[in-house]
Amino acid sequence: METIWLYQFRLIVIGDSTVGKSCLIRRFTEGRFAQVSDPTVGVDFFSRLVEIEPGKRIKLQIWDTAGQERFRSITRAYYRNSVGGLLLFDITNRRSFQNVHNWLEEARSHVQPHSIVFLLVGHKCDLEAQRQVTQHEAEKLAGAYGMRYVETSARDAINVEKAFVDLTREIFELVRDGDIKIQDGWEGVKSGFVPNTVHSSEEVTKGSRQCFC
Amino acid sequence: MSIASSSPEKESSGGAQLQCPSSPPGLDPDPSSTGSPILSPDSSSHDAVLSAPAASPADSENLSPDELELLAKLEEQNRLLEADSKSMRSMSGSRRNSGSSLVSSSSASSNLSHLEEDTWILWGRIVNEWEEWRRKKDKLLKELIRKGIPHHFRAIVWQLLGNATDMPVKNQYSELLKMSSPCEKLIRRDIARTYPEHEFFKGQDSLGQEVLFNVMKAYSLVDREVGYCQGSAFIVGLLLMQMPEEEAFCVFVRLMQEYRLRELFKPSMAELGLCIYQFEYLLQEQLPELNVHFRSQSFHTSMYASSWFLTLFLTFLPLPVATRIFDIFMYEGLEIIFRVGLAILQYNQTDLIQLDMEGMSQHFQKVIPHQFDSCPDKLILRAYQVKYNPKRMKKLEKEYTTIKNKEMEEQIEIKRLRTENRLLKQRIETLEKGQVTRAQEAEENYVIKRELAVVRQQCSAASESLEKAQDTIRELQQHQYTEQFVSNLQTQLEQSRLHEAELLGALKEMQDKVLDLEKRSSCLPDENNMAALQDEVKQMKLKELEMLRSFREMQDSVTDLNQRWQHHMSRSGSTGGGGGHWKESPKKNAMNELQDKLMTVRLREAQAQAELREVKLKALQLESQNQIHSKLIGRNEQERSALQDRLQMMANQNKALQAQLSEMKRKQAESDCKSKEEVMAVRLREADSMTVMAELRQKIAELEIQKEEGRIKGQLNHSDSRQYITQLRDQIAELKNEVRQLRGQKAAPGGGGNYDLCLTSPASAEGDFLSSDDDLLPSPLPTTGLYPALTGSCHPPAHLDSEGSTDSEAEERAQTHPDAPQLYGGMVCAEALDN
Repeated sequence: METIWLYQFRLIVIGDSTVGKSCLIRRFTEGRFAQVSDPTVGVDFFSRLVEIEPGKRIKLQIWDTAGQERFRSITRAYYRNSVGGLLLFDITNRRSFQNVHNWLEEARSHVQPHSIVFLLVGHKCDLEAQRQVTQHEAEKLAGAYGMRYVETSARDAINVEKAFVDLTREIFELVRDGDIKIQDGWEGVKSGFVPNTVHSSEEVTKGSRQCFC
Repeated sequence: MSIASSSPEKESSGGAQLQCPSSPPGLDPDPSSTGSPILSPDSSSHDAVLSAPAASPADSENLSPDELELLAKLEEQNRLLEADSKSMRSMSGSRRNSGSSLVSSSSASSNLSHLEEDTWILWGRIVNEWEEWRRKKDKLLKELIRKGIPHHFRAIVWQLLGNATDMPVKNQYSELLKMSSPCEKLIRRDIARTYPEHEFFKGQDSLGQEVLFNVMKAYSLVDREVGYCQGSAFIVGLLLMQMPEEEAFCVFVRLMQEYRLRELFKPSMAELGLCIYQFEYLLQEQLPELNVHFRSQSFHTSMYASSWFLTLFLTFLPLPVATRIFDIFMYEGLEIIFRVGLAILQYNQTDLIQLDMEGMSQHFQKVIPHQFDSCPDKLILRAYQVKYNPKRMKKLEKEYTTIKNKEMEEQIEIKRLRTENRLLKQRIETLEKGQVTRAQEAEENYVIKRELAVVRQQCSAASESLEKAQDTIRELQQHQYTEQFVSNLQTQLEQSRLHEAELLGALKEMQDKVLDLEKRSSCLPDENNMAALQDEVKQMKLKELEMLRSFREMQDSVTDLNQRWQHHMSRSGSTGGGGGHWKESPKKNAMNELQDKLMTVRLREAQAQAELREVKLKALQLESQNQIHSKLIGRNEQERSALQDRLQMMANQNKALQAQLSEMKRKQAESDCKSKEEVMAVRLREADSMTVMAELRQKIAELEIQKEEGRIKGQLNHSDSRQYITQLRDQIAELKNEVRQLRGQKAAPGGGGNYDLCLTSPASAEGDFLSSDDDLLPSPLPTTGLYPALTGSCHPPAHLDSEGSTDSEAEERAQTHPDAPQLYGGMVCAEALDN
């Protein structure tokens, strides 16, 4: 039986190779961390329910993309149908931070006529000793692009939940206020079933249990 | 057959390297561990089939087409049987096995199934007679490959299939390893993520990781365009599980060049797009329902299929199954990937159609990869049931390229249009801005022009009326009679003229101002300026009004004059006889003219004076400027001279410094010379002192020798002195004897002589001793000569304390001879001297 959700948001996760996109998503959707994972060849798909307010659940469909530049010919097809995105860089890899601009350009040129709400994510923040990008400059860059910034660690499960939930909440508010509209032929946002008040409490427990399994 | 002859070595080296990695249970379990009973039903069937080519090796080369067909049929049967027995070998992916079993089988061949043996013999033959097999029995070879290449033969067969046995690039390999690649960093990051669970690649700095890195790096150097592409490491990893790095490198190069992989991994990845396009076509054609479902769920083909093509199922299916597919890929190319992919979808169609996006994704991730773990043959069989039309695929390729080209063109066009659009927008913006300002300017200009026209009209009207007035005045003047009246009129006229002049001046000024304003308004259409202009216009209007008023006054005065004139005329008419007046009038006219001229002259004079003053003023100004300039020049001159002075001073200083410098240099040279000389002197001295030292050393050595000699001599002397002492004793003894003899004679005067003798004897003895040692020995009597030798032997020098002995003797002597101490003293002296 399908779990009841208010909206379905499609998110895309982008960033340089080996910044930890797959690990972050796996931590969020499966609650575990793998020391090594295959490099993503093409695009992977994950999903999870998120409760942004009591009783208000959002289904997230998350597209995990390959980081190597040449895979962009495949991944760019997925921008158009995404409403939100996590733009990852590795705080221990300055290069990946410098490439943030390129990723944004790439996303923005392929998302037209829609737009994507991005969240800048500094990943691997557990490796403080090897840090090459300060929080300050990352925040400054995020501010310049009108994004929010958060530092996460999939290994130590720092801010992983927060990153996804914050982005979801931001998109939810834009949808609620009518800044983002549900359109036919666009799969960025889809509205789901509004839960029946009688069953909602039951569904809530069910949903939350599914989240943290 | 050079290939074949070299192959066993390669094979054995590959096998030796891979004994370890091939042992984990997941990959290639040893059939002996699963047990022969389990294998037996399967193996017996194989036996029946495979023994046919193996049992008659001589015939197999000459098989007729019929026989080959029969063989194929048998193979088919075998495959079906194998499919039934899949559960028995659920754990084994590949039927053939690892190096460890090779060892065990050779040692205990009885345990080895016949099937195994036969397959090996068959594959051994294939490898040895490769060219022939490829030429004549290609179909059979194809069948055999589809059934799976035995693990041990994979290394060589893959090399043969890929035609990678003898490649010139192999010689570059070691050189390439020494170079550094721009992709190195990225490769390094991915190495640990390639087969992380596999024993061969497990752990940092494992052999597997090292060789994988080497091959990837070497390839990225050989093919700079492709460099390194994520996913390709899995293919190389598989090759490395079977063969050494150089061979794996060669096979990989071939795969890239000849198997479309290079196009797949190129930075544009255009080939992948084509593969997906072709695959979508096949899907649409053969599984239309599933295709519709995928579309409705927006489940893109690229989501699942891109990794199939890029890693040839190596990241999707478990290694044993993927390796089987790879066997076929080595022979048939990418076609097998299409076939297997479609077979998988076909097999799962009913499940997938019931699932939503999440469900399908889960199904692809969790269920499908392990569906064929136990029966790879089933998958391959299904793959060959898929319809695949190479011609159709070629057509699709053409279609795709045209679509892509169109898309590209469109994109280029869109980009071009976008930039054009942007530029146009910018232009419009700027134009809009410019238009607004220009419109404002134009409007202001128009207003000002209109006002100007009005003013001009008024001006011309005024001047016209002024002329009329002047005419009337002239007429009036002509009719003037009385001098007083005339003068009055004249003054009035003058006043009016002055007025007029003023008005004209004011008019001109106003016109100038208007022009000025026009200019200003055209160049600076500012609000402030506008306000100022409007003010000025207002002032002008005011002035105009004033002018009009004065004009009216003048008109009034003219009318007044006219009235007066008429009055005067009437008066003159009443008086009558105006002839006298008429006579006078020419004179007065002339006077008037003169006066007019005078006035004009005066005016001119005044003007000239004003000009003169102006000129004077200018002259003054120029003079003052001149003075200023001359002062400036003077100051500059002063500065210049000061600077020159300074320059000279500096030059002097410079000279002095240079002189000092040269002096210093000279001194330095001198001191250098001196120091050199000193050094030389010191060296000379040193050398001298060295020689002196050497001499001194020599001397010391000589002295030491002398000392040694002296010591020896001393020792000798010591013994001599003893001898001497003994001699002396002998002498003493003789002397005693003589004394006794003399006492026996008892001659009184002889006592004094004896005393003298006692005194002299030591001295003479001493003299003898000093003169020569040799003299002492022969001189004593033979008896006395014997005596010291006897005493020497009886009293060794160590026991005989010379002093002690002399003491005792002295006492003895003292008892016997009271004069003996004297003699003894002399003896001790001699002894001391000697020592």
